[in-house]
Amino acid sequence: MTHTLHRKGTADDLSADYVMLCLRAAGINDSGSDAKLQEFLRIAMHHDPENIGSVKMNMYSHRPEEVIADAHGIAHAVFDDSQKVTQVLRELKEADLGLSVVVSGILDPVNECCQKAGLKRHTVEFSLGIWGKTEKLPSNDILEITTMCGHAMVSAKLVESMVEDIKKGIKSPDDAAKELTSHCCCGVFNPARATKLLAAMAGLEINT
Amino acid sequence: MRIDEDSCIACGLCVPYCPMGAISMDGIATIDQDECVDCGVCLRSKICPVDAFIYEPAPWPRSLRAIFSNPIIEHKETRVTGRGTEEMKTNDVTGRFKRGWVGIGIELGRPGIGTRFRDVDKVAQAMARLGAKFEPKNPATLLMKDVGAGKLKEDVLDEKVLSAIVECTFPIEKIKAALIALKEVARDVDTVFSVDCISVVEPDGSLPMDKILSELEIPRYINGKTNVGLGRPLAEGGN
Repeated sequence: MTHTLHRKGTADDLSADYVMLCLRAAGINDSGSDAKLQEFLRIAMHHDPENIGSVKMNMYSHRPEEVIADAHGIAHAVFDDSQKVTQVLRELKEADLGLSVVVSGILDPVNECCQKAGLKRHTVEFSLGIWGKTEKLPSNDILEITTMCGHAMVSAKLVESMVEDIKKGIKSPDDAAKELTSHCCCGVFNPARATKLLAAMAGLEINT
Repeated sequence: MRIDEDSCIACGLCVPYCPMGAISMDGIATIDQDECVDCGVCLRSKICPVDAFIYEPAPWPRSLRAIFSNPIIEHKETRVTGRGTEEMKTNDVTGRFKRGWVGIGIELGRPGIGTRFRDVDKVAQAMARLGAKFEPKNPATLLMKDVGAGKLKEDVLDEKVLSAIVECTFPIEKIKAALIALKEVARDVDTVFSVDCISVVEPDGSLPMDKILSELEIPRYINGKTNVGLGRPLAEGGN
């Protein structure tokens, strides 16, 4: 389950895309883990996340309290800047939940977040990209959106369809991004980043 | 997944939702059953105004499609949802990847193309020839009839899934040969695969794979995953 790795993007737009995961090691520290995952999500909610998710629900398919109540095995939260990640890590260290925590994002800033929070990185996973019959892939701008759902629940054709709807004025980039976000049941899709990418694909400018 | 022919009103709204492009319009909406991976996106999206999608669990080996493609389903053997493996995410607790070893995850079919297990079999065998140690708590490993050879059971080979991960470890001195072999087998598969490598951070904070990848001229993404070491109890030898 490497569902938050392999997110394609430029340094600029990935700098507003950090996913935090909290999970139990099956068969080792399961006891009471669901309540600890709920606490992780509550801590995350204090720092204005772009999204949170259990496995079956995210913030755009259900209310946050429903997502928190559904936490089992693993929980996710998405943030748009590294300062929030640092603050959440500090609070998680203080809370001492005993569950594993992983941050997915640009590696150097994540290392800085760990240092500021008084943590030492344990293990790092690199993405070496996409190999094989790459001619089967959609264009890079579509991949920058679809790879935000590592389980491939957001189809390339749906992204194309949303871009067409934006161009025709049927949907705003924000509404289209929310629609795509709802299909990523884990809640690791970043709707704020998707809004910007969709607007760019449709030839619009977004004021931030 | 199937569509109730009597209910479908041929609106076509569902067509772009399918990650595999398996839904097309032929008078009414139809699903190419050979391409459908039973991921459930069409059903969960609730896009159908007349609820024409019907899912009934399939018998073996088609049952593998939903198990590997629908992230809501927990893999029974590993107790993990998604693609069914914890890999490095719990390494602070499990100690699955140890210093001096490198983990490789090869996710066939990702991103968004899908894979037959026939291609999973090819890649697993290529890694086995170099002495790969396959992760026992991984659903693709559990489909092997001969783990030493990386050979999957014959009856699963034609099944299609959104993705499946071949997950194994090598001593760090063997990792170059493994990545070179992976480059070669990449020419023989009919899909794409996303590759990752995992290593424990050295005591001085350095990442041992950086030098090796640079020597092989294999680029890596600037983004990746970091286990921050908060899990307890810490695995033996943990930082």
